[in-house]
Parts: sequence; structure tokens; C-alpha cells
Amino acid sequence: MGKVTYDAIVVGGGIAGCEAALNIANNDFNVLLIEKDLSVGGKMILLSKVFPTLDCSACITTPKISEMARHPNITIFTGSELQKVSKYGDNLFEVSIVKNPRYVNIEDCTGCQLCEQACPVTVPDQYQLDMVGRKAAYIPFSIANPRVAAIDIDNCTLCGACEKVCPTKCIDFTQEKEEWIIHVKTVILATGFNLFNPEMIPRYGFGLYKNVVTSMQMERQLAPTRPFHTVLRPGDGKVPDRIAYILCTGSRDASVGNTMCSQICCMYSIKQAQLLMGALPMADVTIYYIDIRAFGKGFNEFYEQALGMGVNFVKGKIGKISEKKNGDLVLRYEDVCSGKLQEAEHDMVVLSVGVVANQDAQKYFTDLTLKKDRHHFVQQVDPLLNPSKTSIEGVFVAGSVSGPMDIPDSILSAGAASVEAINHIIQFS
Amino acid sequence: MDTEKGNTVKLLKEKRKVSTEAKEKLKEFTRTKKAIMNALNGEDLTIAQLSEKLSLPYNEVVYYLMSLLKFGLVQVGEIDDMDEYFTYKVVK
Repeated sequence: MGKVTYDAIVVGGGIAGCEAALNIANNDFNVLLIEKDLSVGGKMILLSKVFPTLDCSACITTPKISEMARHPNITIFTGSELQKVSKYGDNLFEVSIVKNPRYVNIEDCTGCQLCEQACPVTVPDQYQLDMVGRKAAYIPFSIANPRVAAIDIDNCTLCGACEKVCPTKCIDFTQEKEEWIIHVKTVILATGFNLFNPEMIPRYGFGLYKNVVTSMQMERQLAPTRPFHTVLRPGDGKVPDRIAYILCTGSRDASVGNTMCSQICCMYSIKQAQLLMGALPMADVTIYYIDIRAFGKGFNEFYEQALGMGVNFVKGKIGKISEKKNGDLVLRYEDVCSGKLQEAEHDMVVLSVGVVANQDAQKYFTDLTLKKDRHHFVQQVDPLLNPSKTSIEGVFVAGSVSGPMDIPDSILSAGAASVEAINHIIQFS
Repeated sequence: MDTEKGNTVKLLKEKRKVSTEAKEKLKEFTRTKKAIMNALNGEDLTIAQLSEKLSLPYNEVVYYLMSLLKFGLVQVGEIDDMDEYFTYKVVK
């Protein structure tokens, strides 16, 4: 069990966590960043492009996470889970962390992928939303940081093929879980959000109809490191010609317990529609919406650009999706403008899933009370004047752990959290 | 430990059993991979043709074929006249 002291701990290695860690480290404080996944970068590193500029998402994320990974004041624990945060004395927190074994020595792995080639096991690739396989010895994705291999021990058959071909002998099956106790002056929570599980709306047929996909699956299909060689229907490999988006899937919907607007779905769907029209110039893209909320800088122009490109916008609520024998999908919907029930046929349906709270953060504080808001996000106790402050003195929020927000807002939020954290460190040092 | 470097798997094998599920997954993938590679050996085929030949659902063929494409064992051929379905062939 290791015991160490840092000025700050940042929980979560997405774009907000990275930004907060960098800001604190650049002010000469030591930061520990912990990430439960095998790579930092969060959801943003898996996106194709960002709205409304259509800049390459990976091109923005990777320099920032590389800077963070190389920063002398930042220590990163990937594959690690925070167990508990409690008060330690008057001004410190005691944090217990479990570092899961990767079965690869990070320092020695060159990312050559020979272990991947040698591994005989193939299981669904979680970074490609299970649309394609990956090996049990694998590099999470091509721009992962650290870009080193890991062994998926639950699916590994212990054949030893990876070890035999590894030129640096960095694979180590003797690794075990490590427990760490860390003392820190401040905590930044940057655990992000979860995406709504569309299986909670059975009438949309997600999981049952193979050509009904989530927006994150489509995001992967549009990324340069896509699972397929082009955009294809997962149900039969057909190049889709008529693609429909259903906005507000799992948001603004009391029937699934989430009445809140997710703030990003309109714009990411409009972005994907534009990218699809670039990838498949002959395709018809229809967006079924309740309202288009293009509220940010350049957002309305981005919406108008999509209209100009020929994206079809239909104000309508989808009642039901049914599947034809050939895999095509029939959407039954209420056309709000005409007040009539209509049916339309599409090759593929993309569910623009909403944002829901990641409630992991609340579990860490067993003897302290981290208040949550009515949507289960971490409550900002002073949302107007001090939006990063939580109900626990010295614990701050960065990014979408406190509510849905887009990437620029997450980065702004991380900036605010890091300033508050630095103030706290100075005040109580 | 240094003497074991490069062969640490035997130490884990003494402590941990491989799950039946993992073994089954390996068998299933190996079987399907072999069947797809054999089917594509003589001719270029579409997903629908592979599905018929192997008696596998379309979506399963997509998953396995795209995995083989990712691993560099299969490559993309021509698209049909309707611009709907690609053919796939073995990398030689």
C-alpha cells in the first residue's frame, strides 16, 4: 500500500479533468489525476469532429493530454478507481484508490502491437461501441494515452502468446491490485456524464433492430479511426441512403425520468448530419425534433448551414419504430406542423441519446455529504457566483459532473474549478 | 522475478482458471474466422452472400468480417451497381 501527498487530486481524465490538472500543475502545485479507463481523454477523444467549427476532435484533445502526460507536476493513474474520500485533520483529505493491474509495464511497452497480433482471442471492442472486435491483449485505441498495451484478463485464455512475442518483455502477469492512500489539500471532481441507455425506450427497438444505433455509435462510424471502412448499417453492411435522427431520446422526457434538456444533442446531431452528407453525398438525412435549441455562439448559423446543405428537419414526435424484413425501419410519428400521423421509411435510425448524471462521485464520500441536485448531478451550491463550489469545502466540480454542457463550457468550468482549487490550497497551506 | 520475465503467464495459471465463457468465445471466433476465410478464398463475396453461405445472421457476419478487416486479414473489394453492398476478399 503506497502512501503519498499531493496538493490536489483530479478525479476523471476527460477534457475537463485534463484542463483542471494542467492549470493547477502550471502554477507549481503537484497533482494526481486518476482515470478509471485505460486511457485519458474521456468521451471527447472518441469524437469525430466538434461543433460548430467542425474541427477534428482528436487534433484538439491529443496535444492537451500529451502536455498533461509529460508535465513534471502531474502524476496519472489510469485503470484506477477512487474508493473513498474522507477528511484528514483540519485541512486535508484522505483518498483511497485501487489501481487495477494492466499486466503490462507501462514504462517498457513501446506500443508495437505485436502482442495484439499474436493474441488469438477476439471480443467486442468497447471503444468502438461493440461494433467490431478487439483482442484480449490490446491497445485501447490508436490515439490512447498512454499508448501502451493492456491485457483484458477476464477474456484472456492465458495462452502466453503475447508474452512470447513481446520484444521488451513488458507483459507481466504477476501484477496485482495496488491500494493507495493519498493525502491531498483539495479535490476536483471531473467524472463527466453518462449517456442515456435507449433500451429504456423499447418502442424505439434499440438492441432489437440492428440498424437502430446510438449517436455515439454513429460518432465512431464518422471518426477517422472508425470501426468499418465507411458508414455502414451494422445489421447487414449496406451503405445507408436514408438516415433518420431522433432527437431528445431520453431527455426532456418525464416517462424515462429525465425532464432535463441535454444541451448538446441538437448540435451534435446537426454536426453528424453534415458529416454524413460529406461521407455519403447521395444520402438523405432527416432530423425529427421537438425543438431545435441552437443557443450558443455560432450554433444557429451551424443549423442554417445544415438546412442549406439539404438536411430535412421534421418537427415531430416518434411514436414507434418497426422493422421490415429487409432491415429498413418504418417510423410512425406525429407531424406537429400538420397535426397528422405520418409514416416514413429509413435505412438507418440514429437515436440522439441524452445526457444523464454520472453518480459515481456521490459514492466516494461516505462520511461527508456531497449534495446532489434533483437530476442527480453534483449540486453547485452557488451556481451563479461560484459555480465550481460543492457542499464540501475544498471539493470542486469541473465539467459535466454538475450538469450537461458542451466542450467549451466544460473547459471554462474546469478553469473556474482549478482557480478555486488553487485558492483553497494557498489559503490552507 | 527476472528469471521469469517473458514467461509470467505460468505463475498466473497456477492461481487463476480460465473461464468457460472465454474459452467458448475463442472457439467461436476461431471457427467463424476459418469459415469466412475459406468462403472468401475462391471468390469475392458480399455480406449477404457470406451470410447465406455460412448460415449466419447478417449482423454477425458484419461483426466478424469487420474484425477481420481491422486485423488486416480481409480487404474491401468493389461496390455493387446500386452503390449499396461491398464485396470483400482475402488479403493475399
